Amino acid sequence: MLLTLLFTTFVTVFLAEMGDKTQLTTITLSSTTNKPLAVFIGSSIALILATLLGALAGGSIANLIPEFMLKLLSGIVFLIIGINLMAKSRDENSSHN
Amino acid sequence: MGQINSKSKKNTSDSNDSTTFLGILITSFSTIFLAELGDKTQLATLMLSAQSGGRPLIIFTGASLALITTSLLGVLIGQWIADNLPRQKFTVITGIIMLSLGSYLVTQGFIEFIKN
Repeated sequence: MLLTLLFTTFVTVFLAEMGDKTQLTTITLSSTTNKPLAVFIGSSIALILATLLGALAGGSIANLIPEFMLKLLSGIVFLIIGINLMAKSRDENSSHN
Repeated sequence: MGQINSKSKKNTSDSNDSTTFLGILITSFSTIFLAELGDKTQLATLMLSAQSGGRPLIIFTGASLALITTSLLGVLIGQWIADNLPRQKFTVITGIIMLSLGSYLVTQGFIEFIKN
């Protein structure tokens, strides 16, 4: 019974997270840096902590922090990474010429 | 021509090596943490599982294992891409994806802010 529950949760969360923006970020971080282990450890700890916080807050962090704030914050982080990557590709381009 | 290529290759690997292990770890942590907090899918799943009369620790364990597996897959896919696709092109593509995601989230957040 416990194993069934564990298995069900695993499959549900696994399917929900595959191809999600979180995984997309992990792919980006891993492919643009040379340290896959650092990306793996960092993202794993973040995901476990977010899950724990979510469980403790009774299902939704949005009870504690307004959702628009979370979206704005994560949006800004994504924009910063995007700008960084564009600058990086520009550097790589100029070193080619 | 070959010389230029090897030189630019060296430059990019040098700039990557200058980013420390801890630096990348912290960047990964903060980015994923923020992205995941704003993501409701997983939290909704957790809540649903909890409502179905389960034990929270089991659900937490199952969800954590699933997330570790997806991030491991993400890292492996990323490494495969870095090894097999032209680096510069991929940097531009991921840059555009990140900028689009960022604009989308900021717009969504702004719309919700106005609504409240």
